[in-house]
Amino acid sequence: MKVIIDDKEFEAEYGEYILDVARRNGIHIPTLCHSDTVPGQGSCRLCIVEVYERGKNKVVVSCLYPITGEIKVYTNSEKIHRMRRNIIRLLAARAPGSEYIKKLKEEYGIPEETRFIVDEKEKCVLCGLCVKACEKLGSMAISTVNRGATKKVAPPFEEPPVDCIGCASCAHVCPTGAIEVRECKGKRVIWNRTFELLKCTSCGRYFITREQYEYMKNRLGIDMKELLCDRCRQKSTAEKLVSLYKKLLV
Amino acid sequence: MNGMVQVPRRTVLVCCGTGCLANNSMEIYKKLKDKAAELESGFPVIPVLKATGCNGLCERGPIIQVLPDDIFYCKVSVSDVDEIFERTILKGDVIERLLYLDASSGKRVRSFKESEFYKKQFKIALRNIGQIDPACIDDYIERGGYEALKKALFEMSPEQVISEIERSGLRGRGGAGFPTGYKWRQCSKTNDFPKYVVCNGDEGDPGAFMDRSIMEGDPHSVIEGMIIGAYAVGAEKGFIYIRDEYSLAVRNVSKAIEDAYIRGYLGRDIMGSGFSLDIEVVRGGGAFVCGESTALMASIEGRVGEPRVKYIRSTEKGLWGKPTVLNNVETWANVPVIITRGAEWFSSIGTEKSKGTKVFSLVGKVKNTGLIEVPMGMTLREIIFGIGGGIAGSGKFKAVQTGGPSGGCIPEALLDLPVDFDSLSDAGSMMGSGGMIVMDDRTCMVEVARYYLKFLSEESCGKCTPCREGIRRMLEVLEDICAGEGREEDIELLLELSETVKEASLCGLGKTAPNPVLTTIKYFKDEYLAHIKEKRCPAGVCKKLTSYRINPDLCRGCSLCAKRCPAGAISGKQGKIYEIDQGICTVCGTCREVCRFGAVEVAGRATE
Repeated sequence: MKVIIDDKEFEAEYGEYILDVARRNGIHIPTLCHSDTVPGQGSCRLCIVEVYERGKNKVVVSCLYPITGEIKVYTNSEKIHRMRRNIIRLLAARAPGSEYIKKLKEEYGIPEETRFIVDEKEKCVLCGLCVKACEKLGSMAISTVNRGATKKVAPPFEEPPVDCIGCASCAHVCPTGAIEVRECKGKRVIWNRTFELLKCTSCGRYFITREQYEYMKNRLGIDMKELLCDRCRQKSTAEKLVSLYKKLLV
Repeated sequence: MNGMVQVPRRTVLVCCGTGCLANNSMEIYKKLKDKAAELESGFPVIPVLKATGCNGLCERGPIIQVLPDDIFYCKVSVSDVDEIFERTILKGDVIERLLYLDASSGKRVRSFKESEFYKKQFKIALRNIGQIDPACIDDYIERGGYEALKKALFEMSPEQVISEIERSGLRGRGGAGFPTGYKWRQCSKTNDFPKYVVCNGDEGDPGAFMDRSIMEGDPHSVIEGMIIGAYAVGAEKGFIYIRDEYSLAVRNVSKAIEDAYIRGYLGRDIMGSGFSLDIEVVRGGGAFVCGESTALMASIEGRVGEPRVKYIRSTEKGLWGKPTVLNNVETWANVPVIITRGAEWFSSIGTEKSKGTKVFSLVGKVKNTGLIEVPMGMTLREIIFGIGGGIAGSGKFKAVQTGGPSGGCIPEALLDLPVDFDSLSDAGSMMGSGGMIVMDDRTCMVEVARYYLKFLSEESCGKCTPCREGIRRMLEVLEDICAGEGREEDIELLLELSETVKEASLCGLGKTAPNPVLTTIKYFKDEYLAHIKEKRCPAGVCKKLTSYRINPDLCRGCSLCAKRCPAGAISGKQGKIYEIDQGICTVCGTCREVCRFGAVEVAGRATE
């Protein structure tokens, strides 16, 4: 089906999200809480767009608005631009410590905050991706706690989380670098818990925590016969394929 | 019957709604019951005692009604019980001093129905409350209860039920006013099972107690409505979500469900119709946001009570991703009446686009605070000055806040506004679930906006940026204004943030949160300017911007203010003009309250 984005016509599948169609066609819409691996948040509201549908005009988040009929979309109308600037200003006032937010602030020409009280060190924008990633991986070691202005992401009772396997997926998925991971001398520290790291048997690089290895083996039934890091595993698979082809060709 | 004479009964209804309970009505009820039990047999009258739900006139509680004599007593205390029993219950005499004193006429009236408070009301959702014992299913059945269910199950098809509700024009009473029949039809069209019906009893607006009173006082009306709705859309499971603070509502609804199962109105094969439905109570943890439908469903599913985007409606993907009809308590309570009396009758009440009645909790600076039900389209003036009896105390009407924290403040100039869904939202406020808070001229509108934003900043779930961060920052600005730290550009900033919060927030909580700020700026901008520019709170509420002065022309030197001042800040001699020492004064306002000559005046920030 057809969809008009910023006065240009594009093809879309029924039910496809506006953001996906826009991205495919090179139209930039800023996002923060959107991740292809853990979709469905709709919480940061950065990707708002104006939609005209059946004579009505509304503001929606493009990451979750499905195209099911004839619509016209404006990704950067005056109103959207104004509101997006406000959202970035609010995010910047909340998490001035984040590099990503600083860049957005620059891009939208937002002046230094003088009206609101800010905490310079804060980086978390509470997009919820970390919690969702942890939930999806099955550990559910962290969650959002409290509500409103006091909401935050934390492990139960803010103690080192028992269910955490130290995989650091939360930190990887975080758009603002708000989750601290420290690695030193075969140890990884995350959420105030220290994990032992295991070495790659091929290159000798530390790459996985013992808990993560056991979780994969016992809970997911993935038994790595050789303990190989991503790079070495790719290398070894490629080598195997090459030798296989060589045999076939001979 | 063997020549036996039927002994006349006298029914005594003791209001045991939450308001009256707080004023000891349970003790009154128990004492009356004990006295009735002690009565020797063969007495010419049999007293029948009932503990009922909320009568509505909470201001004058505890309330007792005696039938069939139709005698209505207010502000009854335990010490009145003996006299009521001896004189009224046994002999039918009226005790004059306990009768209702009408605020407007100044006369005592014998029957509740003659009071100004009652006369203009029209009861549909509250039809049984105060008249029945909510814990007794027979009381409900005696007043026509479960007749609508029989009619729906045996004389109507699901399609006919839906079309009846559609034609009645019933709109959701939870706030947004979404057409109920349309919602049901959407759900019935969705070919996905199982389906669910949900009752939203998570009422959380400050000052609102409509749904609470219905669940406490007439739980079967809600259950019957839900069974009819479930039959119409094809659901087999229902949930009643009640906030846990409403312990009496939880108790009465649970008891009603139990009784409905015993009588065969719930469970498998209801009354032999082949239709089955189970209903259970879910207790909410007390988060205001769980009144938002998708957050409520998340909470029922056992997840954190956060809303989701609703581009796909709950009637398609609701509870556990299945089609769900969620209606508010009052909406469900309206359903049986519509089925019994018909869509034509229902749609003849109200305005063109808002049919039927609406229940309001009328509170604040009004004489008759309480629970009322009026036809849609009645003006605010009729409600506040007619039913409410006008402003309590010596103050003047200033504004009425409708719709709770999501609503707005409506000024005097709009008092003739008809109360319906559309007129209220045109005025920048909303119907909401039906809270109505009357404010007099000693209310600071900036402070009111600050209060609601404070509430919302704590109750926002914190999921989306505009709501969590926007409300918090707007609150910071309002706190500054109230503390005299407001800046000239603050009003502009508030308006700009309001737009973003209103348009870009995820759910209804954020989308309506700026309303208290927007309406107070729209209708009471002068007050904002007085705070910001003149550093003065005209109502004398914001302490940092208020000082009190004694007007020498009005002071009679009676010394009352000096005697009452808790800080000892007022000095002077009897017969001479008194003076306030600004250095000692704590701006508590006692002097202003007690002065009989209006000599204590509000001024701006103290300069000393």
